[in-house]
Amino acid sequence: MRRLNRAMSMLTGRELILLAACVVITIAFASASPVFATPENAATIMRNSVELLLIGLGMTLLLAMGGIDVSIGVVMGLSAIAVGRALGADLDPALAAVIGPLTGALLGLVTAAVVVLGRIPAIVGTLGLLGIYRTAIFVVLGGQWLSGLPTGLTEMLGTGLAGVPLSFWMIALAYLAVWLALRRTPFGLHLLAIGNSEEKARLSGISVIKVRFAAFVISGMLAGLAATFYVATYRNVEMSTGSTLALDAIAAVVLGGTSILGGRCSLVGTVLGVLLLRILQNGLLLIGVPSLWQTVVTGGLLIAVLSLEVLAGRLSFSKLGWASR
Amino acid sequence: MNRLRSLHGPALVLAILAVLWVVVLGGLFVLKPTALSAATMTTVLQFSTILALAALGQALVILAGGAGIDLSVGGSVSLSAILAMLALKAGMPPLLLPVACIVAGLLLGLFNGLLVTRLAILPLIATLGTFFAYSGLALALTGGAPQPGVPQWLLPWGRGTLGGVPLPFVSAALPAFVLAGIVLVFTAWGRWIYAMGFNERSARLVGIPVDRTRLILYGLSGMLAGVAGLVSLAWFGSGRPNIGQNLELESLTAAMLGGIAIFGGRGGVGGVLAAVVLLVTLKTGLLQLNVNTVWQVGIVGALLIFVLLADRLSQRWR
Repeated sequence: MRRLNRAMSMLTGRELILLAACVVITIAFASASPVFATPENAATIMRNSVELLLIGLGMTLLLAMGGIDVSIGVVMGLSAIAVGRALGADLDPALAAVIGPLTGALLGLVTAAVVVLGRIPAIVGTLGLLGIYRTAIFVVLGGQWLSGLPTGLTEMLGTGLAGVPLSFWMIALAYLAVWLALRRTPFGLHLLAIGNSEEKARLSGISVIKVRFAAFVISGMLAGLAATFYVATYRNVEMSTGSTLALDAIAAVVLGGTSILGGRCSLVGTVLGVLLLRILQNGLLLIGVPSLWQTVVTGGLLIAVLSLEVLAGRLSFSKLGWASR
Repeated sequence: MNRLRSLHGPALVLAILAVLWVVVLGGLFVLKPTALSAATMTTVLQFSTILALAALGQALVILAGGAGIDLSVGGSVSLSAILAMLALKAGMPPLLLPVACIVAGLLLGLFNGLLVTRLAILPLIATLGTFFAYSGLALALTGGAPQPGVPQWLLPWGRGTLGGVPLPFVSAALPAFVLAGIVLVFTAWGRWIYAMGFNERSARLVGIPVDRTRLILYGLSGMLAGVAGLVSLAWFGSGRPNIGQNLELESLTAAMLGGIAIFGGRGGVGGVLAAVVLLVTLKTGLLQLNVNTVWQVGIVGALLIFVLLADRLSQRWR
């Protein structure tokens, strides 16, 4: 019991609310659909969360720094094509697996060059890149799908370690590495400082360009890693692969309590945000809501949470008798 | 010197855009001489109308600063057209269709404005959320199918021309730009917009109602999107749930290309209109040359980045 208490106290209010929300909607969907609360469906939800967990991790870094990348889903798409092409060319699966993160990191480098070196606001710069990458995907694929790829990569990554899928271990490793970087190295402190105020961070001697550059490259690399798992699971790549992932990631990270104004981030919150989003999407589909409604739900949830956060903040301020803002 | 530069700024932008436009037309003439005709120009202006209206709203929102941006313009265009058509289907008198479409756009824009001003949510996140909500709703409410049944009397306006210039362009886009230009340059309210874009703190200190002005501008952007939705209805004769696709990227590019500073407070609307015509000429030219439409989004994206990089470099060299 005491251990449980300690575990609970490690979670912030926001994370507890998310956890509660996950439980509530799980119970609601379980009572509405007989298929929802089955081990198979739980596995499906976990499986569907893999890419978003990795991309959400990168997005957490970007948002905490006051940045954003709306092209990140398409970066995963392009990396997936690279992995697929490598597999199609009968490359060794281990090599093909590395090509994903490598391509992602390379594209992250491009994003960083445009946004950081070009000093273009991240939202505008990555929106431009999104357009370019979408054309690039079309050109590279030639209007066709990559499908029926060799099974080598699938077999390699399909193995489990101690009964748990390899993807889970990789995700845990990635989160641990980022957590250590954030909490135990100057990088994390600098990143959050830039999120608070880029000007003040620069004045206090932080190498703003280096830190921002690194964050964009890491985010790209994580998207590339997600691409490797995507190809291993689905063994095909189409034009629209990854097109909704950027919004999903932004929504999940914001849900998780990372402040878009920078300076505050929560990795546990991101994980819970991803799970909440994927449970919601899966459950809505199972109770018969057409998939066209998914973007409406995600967009609406994003707005609702941000609005409620502000309103609740104001309420508690006025209760304590503080001047509002 | 400062005065000289501010006088020359807009003129310089227009001159550069004119040169680029001639280059694009020249390139088209070399590659496909038959494509260059009066009819092509009519087509360009017809296609320009919707983008022009969306880009004007985008430009005004950005001009007012405060990290202002309206990523939801495309979604607002689609959703206002769809909402108006659904209302028509539900029994609304057809005469009210234009009003319904414009009011729907206005409300969608005001919702953005409330999120940004009253709740102080960062514009890029607020309008990213509403972009997905609006464009998603337009698709979800219709199942992705076009909504037929636009009243016949609306079509002559959407498809007619006046001396080779499409009617929607003459009667909607052009007056909107002229009006916006006059308001920005000659009225106190217009000066407020520049002032708050240039330095919001000072604007607040001198008593400019920054939040109210910004709320109105987001509403205006939505209303212009509603007008654009109406133009699409009168032009195609049906409500297309994806009519606003890519408009967020294109309107941003047009605004940046037209000399609006991304951080606000600098730029004019004349350049935006010129940039819209340039963009659409480029797109039409590519279409004439049988280049796949997927290339358009990439070229527009590259143009957006190029313009912003060029702006940075020119500032450094100045």
